Amino acid sequence: MEPVGQPLGPHFLRQSGQRVGDPAHAALPVGYAWLCALLGLLGKPPGAAFVAICARQGDSSCRFLSVSDLFDRVIQHSDRLHSLSTEKNFLPNGNALGKWTGKCHTSKMLTPNGKEYVQKIPREELTHLILRLLQAWKEPLSHFDQNIGHHQELSSDSLSKAKQISSMVHELKTGMEKVTEKMQSMGIISNSLNGMGSSEAAGLSISNEANLMSDYEFIHCFRRDSNKVQSYLKILKCRIWPGNSC
Amino acid sequence: MEDFLPTSLCSTTRKVQPDPPVNLSLQVIQSAGILYLWAKWSPPPLVDVRSGWLILHYELRLKSEEWEEWETIFVGQQTHYKAFKLHPGLKYIVQVHCMLDHGEWSEWSSESYIQIPNGQSPGKPELLRCRSPEKETFTCWWKPGSDGGLPTNYTLFYSKEGDKSINECPDYRTAGPNSCYFNKKHTSLWAIYNITIKATNKRGSNISEPQYVDVTYIVQPDPPVNLSLEVKKQVDGKPYLLLKWYPPPLADVKSGWLTLEYKLRLKPEEAEEWETIFVGQQTQYKLFSLNPGKKYIAQVHCKPDHGEWSEWSSESYIQIPSDIELKDVIVWIFVAVLSSIICLIIIGMMALKGFSMVACILPPVPGPKIKGLDTHLLETGRSVELLSALGCQDFPPTSDCEDLLVEFLEVDDSEDQQLMPSHEKGHPSKNMKSAHKETDSDSGRGSCDSPFLLSERSREPRIPPSAFQTPDISEIPENNARKSSCEIQSTDLKEIIPYFSIGGAKLSMGLGAQLLNNQTPKCSYHDITNVCKIAHGTMNVNVASILGGNEENQQSQYSKPTETISEETLDKQGEVESLHSKVDQDRMQLLPNEKSPFLSAKLMDYVEIHKVNQDGALAVLPKQKENGGKTENCTVPGTNKEYAKVSRVVDNSILVIIPVSRVQSTPMFQEPPKESVQNLQQSQREKNMSYCFTTPSECKIDTGGLDYLDPTSFMCSFN
Repeated sequence: MEPVGQPLGPHFLRQSGQRVGDPAHAALPVGYAWLCALLGLLGKPPGAAFVAICARQGDSSCRFLSVSDLFDRVIQHSDRLHSLSTEKNFLPNGNALGKWTGKCHTSKMLTPNGKEYVQKIPREELTHLILRLLQAWKEPLSHFDQNIGHHQELSSDSLSKAKQISSMVHELKTGMEKVTEKMQSMGIISNSLNGMGSSEAAGLSISNEANLMSDYEFIHCFRRDSNKVQSYLKILKCRIWPGNSC
Repeated sequence: MEDFLPTSLCSTTRKVQPDPPVNLSLQVIQSAGILYLWAKWSPPPLVDVRSGWLILHYELRLKSEEWEEWETIFVGQQTHYKAFKLHPGLKYIVQVHCMLDHGEWSEWSSESYIQIPNGQSPGKPELLRCRSPEKETFTCWWKPGSDGGLPTNYTLFYSKEGDKSINECPDYRTAGPNSCYFNKKHTSLWAIYNITIKATNKRGSNISEPQYVDVTYIVQPDPPVNLSLEVKKQVDGKPYLLLKWYPPPLADVKSGWLTLEYKLRLKPEEAEEWETIFVGQQTQYKLFSLNPGKKYIAQVHCKPDHGEWSEWSSESYIQIPSDIELKDVIVWIFVAVLSSIICLIIIGMMALKGFSMVACILPPVPGPKIKGLDTHLLETGRSVELLSALGCQDFPPTSDCEDLLVEFLEVDDSEDQQLMPSHEKGHPSKNMKSAHKETDSDSGRGSCDSPFLLSERSREPRIPPSAFQTPDISEIPENNARKSSCEIQSTDLKEIIPYFSIGGAKLSMGLGAQLLNNQTPKCSYHDITNVCKIAHGTMNVNVASILGGNEENQQSQYSKPTETISEETLDKQGEVESLHSKVDQDRMQLLPNEKSPFLSAKLMDYVEIHKVNQDGALAVLPKQKENGGKTENCTVPGTNKEYAKVSRVVDNSILVIIPVSRVQSTPMFQEPPKESVQNLQQSQREKNMSYCFTTPSECKIDTGGLDYLDPTSFMCSFN
């Protein structure tokens, strides 16, 4: 059994609790924080779907979370991320799709572009694909953060939201990694593919090209990829845990 | 050299007419929506324009066939021309001619015809929208432009992002006219489509603006299906509406590919505005705020997380049951009917029974009942009688009585005596006078006759005259009064009766009459008023004694008789009779408490009613009994009648007097209960015979047709 890696950062938890434009989702409980500690401590046998997230005793907010619930949290996070990216103010021109003739830097990645393909692809591959996508955006996002202050046309609200994107992506990636590891430890997905190493490498090469993107291209591509991640996660979740809310 | 040859000079500068141009070709061209005629020709063959020495100028003319005039256009040196302002549908004739410099125009070329076509190239089509119902396929619709009058063909071209090839729409039919359907194979997510429409007709083609489509963001699902409404009851009985629906069949929600959010809207059937409820991702909803008894319409629609709202589903109806159930209504109707029936019954009973019911509910207030007191006395307002009945003394004093008290008439027994009929009203004095004339008595006597009307007649038409006598009051100065028989004929009685006054005295009279039937024929008259006086005065007690018997008892007893006299009904007569029966030994005595034979509870003798004065005093004469045949004396058939007995009192004021032939004989017309009394009377007669002797022995009175009482007879007994 693999020990659980580093605990999830507090950012991930905080951001998850605030969903923009999505009132239906509740904030993440504080108990998520304890998942990290517990994941590190416990070595759950494969097949056990439930995780005790409370390391400290006597905590009233302790309750058990299943991996599927965790996955739900991840999905919610990706939803929020995508909602941020589709913020109207980022793209002043609604139908500016025509202007862009270029490609996204992640276009080279082979990603399934239809439901059947997503359902056919193995879980592991899909999981890794998600991680790679998230990884690929690490660099451009940091770049974007640096340049965001130059955009005077954006309102302060949009600006603050834009600044959140990179941190959210980071949190989402981290959370996904953890869930992946958990699933691997539980045997839900195999360990055939390497961990993050491969994704890291793949992401780096792509990121270099991302610096050349214009702002418009950046937002556009990011929207697309966040939507991809969201869709993949949902499909994956319903494949692994069918029934609840599927 | 003038001998030149006369030759014509041919100057080269002479006007030369070239040949007309040739090869005129016409063409109608439409470019950029503009229609023009393209005319082209060649110069005439013999003219060499290439060398540049000859310059031709051309001129073109055209006209429609219908027109008359040519339109001539100077073209210049060119051999082609574009003619605009063409009228579509017309056939044009075109000609061209040329001219050398300073020469003449050539002939016009042969005519060329050209038909301007009606149609144009199509207008620009327009892509309306592209939609995907489930994020797996999508459809695009366009709007055609003007077709230019010619059949136009539309073609859709698209190119995918990253794909340089341009493809045509795979399916024009599935989605209907002017549409293009992309099935799953041709649909790629996360790729931008570049879509254009091209319109083509004979005249030309036209292409639309390109549209860029990303399938991910054009999702608009179908409306949800199977919206079911159901009214359910909570634990506490309150109803709520449960709405259930299913996502559209094409949308794949199960695999997580699509995430739908739902929205409901409801309204009562008659309402104008909808109430919209955002439901979220669940496919059921509980609605608690319902109006009972109303019919609701409900609809639902959905939206993917990044897409557009679907159309509203078809309307579903639900009738909310009202609070009032049928059985409650029935119960209330039953209660209402029952209570109305009860009310009707009560009203009917009250109507039927009328006053008796009212009397039952509101019993009449019982009047004060004092023994011996006649309420009717109160009613009539005759306080005199009332008080007499009550035993009041001296209240109120009536002057009349006093006046009359001293006035007694003495009636002689002589034949020439004639007593005025007492029924003559208003002339008591006259009566008295006549009486006075008749008699030699002084005027000490008065008569208390007071003719007055009784309210009712006696009931019995035939009243045997009976004389009743009452003993004199003490003031009887003389005993002239005699009249053994003071008969009153029935008829006279009738007349006299009205004059009887109501009052205690009367009854006493009446009773006295009955009881005195066998008295000695003493004509004494008893002044009713005197009696009143007695009643009022100190001799009130005497009245009682007069009336016989025990004073006290008789007080009441006599009051009763008084009542009976004043009563109208026979019932009172019954009382009188009963009283008679009561008074066994003690009879009615009209005398004061001087121990007159009357007081000794003797039966009273008959009294002959002499006359009645206004105040209701009966002037009565005791029946004379001096003779054994007093009765006979007193009874003279025809003229003299025997005593009259008051059989009863009717109508409060009528003494029903019965004439009795013989005192001793049993009264003919008396009621049986009186017989005993009268027997007693008769038995006592002997005893009483002596009591009234002040009067002349005979108390026969010549009534002269009228029976009335001799007042003198009253006086006798009071010595």
